[in-house]
Formats: sequence, C-alpha cells, structure tokens
Amino acid sequence: MQLFSEYFKKSNLLSRVDARIKLIVSLILLIMVLSYRGIVFPLLILCLGIILCIRMKIPLRVLFLRFSEPLVVASVVLILKFLTGGKDTLFSIEIAGIRLAGHTDGLMEGLMIAARILGAVSIIALLGFSTPFTEFMAGLSWFRIPKGFIEILMFAYRYIFVLLEDAMVIYNAQKNRLGYSSVRRGLNSFGVLTGSLILKAFEQSQNTTVAMAQRGYDGNMPILKHKPFKRSELLFSTLFVTTMGFLWRI
Amino acid sequence: MKYSKIRNLFSALIMLCCLFFANNVHAMHISEGILPFNWAALWFVLAIPFVGYGLYRLKKLSSLDPSFKPLVGLMAAVVFIISCMPIPVPTAGTCSHPCGTGISGILVGPAISILVAAIALLIQALFLAHGGLSTWGADILSMGVMGSFAGFLTFKTLRSMKINIAVSGFMAGLLADWATYFTTSVVLASGIRGDSPFLPLFWKILVAFIPTQVPLGILEGAMTAGMVVLLYKKRPDLLVKMKVLKPEEVTV
Repeated sequence: MQLFSEYFKKSNLLSRVDARIKLIVSLILLIMVLSYRGIVFPLLILCLGIILCIRMKIPLRVLFLRFSEPLVVASVVLILKFLTGGKDTLFSIEIAGIRLAGHTDGLMEGLMIAARILGAVSIIALLGFSTPFTEFMAGLSWFRIPKGFIEILMFAYRYIFVLLEDAMVIYNAQKNRLGYSSVRRGLNSFGVLTGSLILKAFEQSQNTTVAMAQRGYDGNMPILKHKPFKRSELLFSTLFVTTMGFLWRI
Repeated sequence: MKYSKIRNLFSALIMLCCLFFANNVHAMHISEGILPFNWAALWFVLAIPFVGYGLYRLKKLSSLDPSFKPLVGLMAAVVFIISCMPIPVPTAGTCSHPCGTGISGILVGPAISILVAAIALLIQALFLAHGGLSTWGADILSMGVMGSFAGFLTFKTLRSMKINIAVSGFMAGLLADWATYFTTSVVLASGIRGDSPFLPLFWKILVAFIPTQVPLGILEGAMTAGMVVLLYKKRPDLLVKMKVLKPEEVTV
C-alpha cells in the first residue's frame, strides 16, 4: 500500500494548488484526450504528465509501476487492432503456410486507442500524486457530490489500511500453518481470511460508531472548509486550459 | 481457416508473454482512456441512477441505525482489498480479479452494494491508477450493478428453494463474477470496436476472459461460500440483522 499515490505528495508546486482547480483542469483535459481523433494531443499530455511527475520527485519505480499496466493494455490493443482490425492491408506474410496480415487502418486505430490510454492515465496519475486525500474530499464536496457518498469514501479510505494489516496477520498465520499447502486447503483458508475481514468490518463498525458518538458524532462527518480561489491559480489554470484547447483543435 | 488459426496462435502468444512480463502489475478493471468519450459518458449516465438509489437507501438505513454508515465504509474497504488481486488478461485489454460484490450484495443488499463498489472503484482509480475516472461509470455498471444483483438474486433464489447456505453462497459468488465479466466484455467490445461489427469482437473478448475467469469465478464462489459459512457459524445474529437469513433459519 506504500504505492498509494497519496504517499508521494511531498511539498511541491502542484500539491499546493487548490484541489478544486486540479480536479476541474484534470476533467477538462480528460475530456479533450478522450474526444481527440488522433495521437499527437494524448502523447503531448503523456509527456507533460511524466515531466511533471519527475519534477515532483515521484520515484521512478513507482512511476513505472503506475504506467506498466496501461502500457501492457495499450500495446496489446495496438497489436490486436493492427493484426485483426481493418481492411487496408499493409503487409501480408506466410509463415508455415499460414497467412499473417497487418492493416494500415487497424494500426492507426490501435495507435489512437493506445495514445488515449496513456494520455488519460498520465492525467489521473498526476492528480493522484499531487492531491492529498482530505483535500480531494473537500474538492468533491464543492462539486456538490452528496455528503453521504463522501462520508463513506472517508470511512473506506481510513479502514483500508487497518483491514489490510489484519489481512496480512491472518494470511501469515495461515501460511505458517500450511493453510495454502494444497488447492483445497488454500481455497478454504482464503474463504476464512475474507470471512474474517467481513467479521472485523462488522465489529469495527460498531466500535467506531460508539467511539465517534462519544466524541460528538451526530451522523455527519466534518469536511475541510473551502478557502476562496486564488486569482493567480485561476488565471494560470485558465491560460493553461486555453492553450491546451488550442492545441487540441489543431 | 488458416488465417484465424494464426490469429488465435498469436493472441495466445501475446497473452503468454504478457503474463510473464506483467505478473507484478497491479492492474484491474477497464483501463483509463480505453473508451472513447461518447461511450464513457453513456455508461456514466447509465450508472448514475443506481448510485443515486444506493445513496437514498443509505440515508434511509443510516437514520435507523447510526452504525450503518461506518459499516458500509468498512464493506467498501473489504471490497477494495478483495478486488486488488489482479490477473492480467492482455488479449482482452484488461485484467481479471475477484470482485467481492457478490458477498456485499448478499450482506448489504444490491443497492448499497453498488455504492460500496463505486467507492472502492473510485479510490482505486484515483490513488492506484487501477481502472479510471473516465471508465468509472462502466466499471460501476459491470462490477457494481451486475455483480451485486447477480450475487443477491442468485443467493435469494437458491435460499428460497431451500438450497444449502454454502452452495447458495458459492453460486452467488460464481455468477456475480461471471456476470461482471460478461458486462465488461460488452462494454469493451462496444467501446473499442471502431467500424468493425460488435458481435465478433464481443465473442473474442469473452473467449479471452475464459482462461482466467473460469478459475477466478470458482475461486470467488469458494471465497463467498467460505464467508457466509463463517458468518453463519460465528455470528448468525449478524446474518439475521442484515436480513440475509430469517430468524427461524438460524439454529443455535
């Protein structure tokens, strides 16, 4: 869980920017990337995202891990589209009497999807790396996301780490007692592990409610108050989005 | 005939290579950016009423029981952990994992379970780059809506037929998992098909899921059965409280 993006939000230029502005800019860029019919703009966003991540001193290992899955998916989509989609044949070879053909239109479509995946992932990765969870919650509440949803989100985020720790303890205990020595025992152990997590969740929810009620919980969680927008941030983000919009139109 | 043979061979080769090279990749759900804007928006719009209904149920139930909100949050954390166990399916352009929505559908009902899935998916998208914001709606529909309803309805139907609780749990987990991946195949095929016809691509993706989804479905079924049996043995009162079982079904 040390790979959680929030862990890397050191003090840097982007982490100080208002979460609401980051959210709005990210959503606009995401829409631009998804609706772009080409590869240049998404790749430009990808380069920008990677440069900013490096400037934010995100460890390269983490950056690689974050992008490895989209890279695999993008590569496979590209290859599949090239070899199985399209009509305009680029090449055709015979291997052991079997014909293998690549298509120009399939390649272009594959490249477009691959670029879109990488561009979109870089936007969200950057948002995750630069936004602390509490600020993100405050940002969501400004977007009029229902309070109940935000409260559940806060509870879930808090208890992921608690339950993960419990899961690791149970898993190690099972492993030390040969709980995963055969498929049958493994399935049984896995069922007990996940069942124990559910039991913990039930018990923890009761304890949490009692503890919170003692501290004045009335069914509503406090969320960070919104500060007024900074003019410089608004101006810079507007300029940035306009520039990107101009590039998107080209 | 020969052409389709080489295509299948090639797909299998890619899959094998990717399984070797991507075995440490923590990936899951429909990848960010894979769906074009119009499809991403459509799935998002379709998911909103379900999440809205979940929030309505949450408000209603938490006014009766103040511990309900923390419980739903904790269930979301459990679903998050369960669905963080990925197996890449490169030929389908996505990854497989146990969903956990079968068990949450059984325990808290499908409406709240959709909310639970939506929250787990949002945290994964934002802080682990698993799934995505643009594919959030599609992921909610496949994992949250289809998984929860399939799990809940299967369990309830089998229990009403007086089928053993372990078998009912197993089938609920199995069908929840398979319903999720059926929907994922529909979403992916419609999103990336371009000008190609929908059905051939849909079947290709569905078939590509089989090598992982058949065993994973069984694993999820066993996991769900293990969970309900454990709860039945240790805390049957909780199952009665959550209206999973009737009081007369619990033997002390």
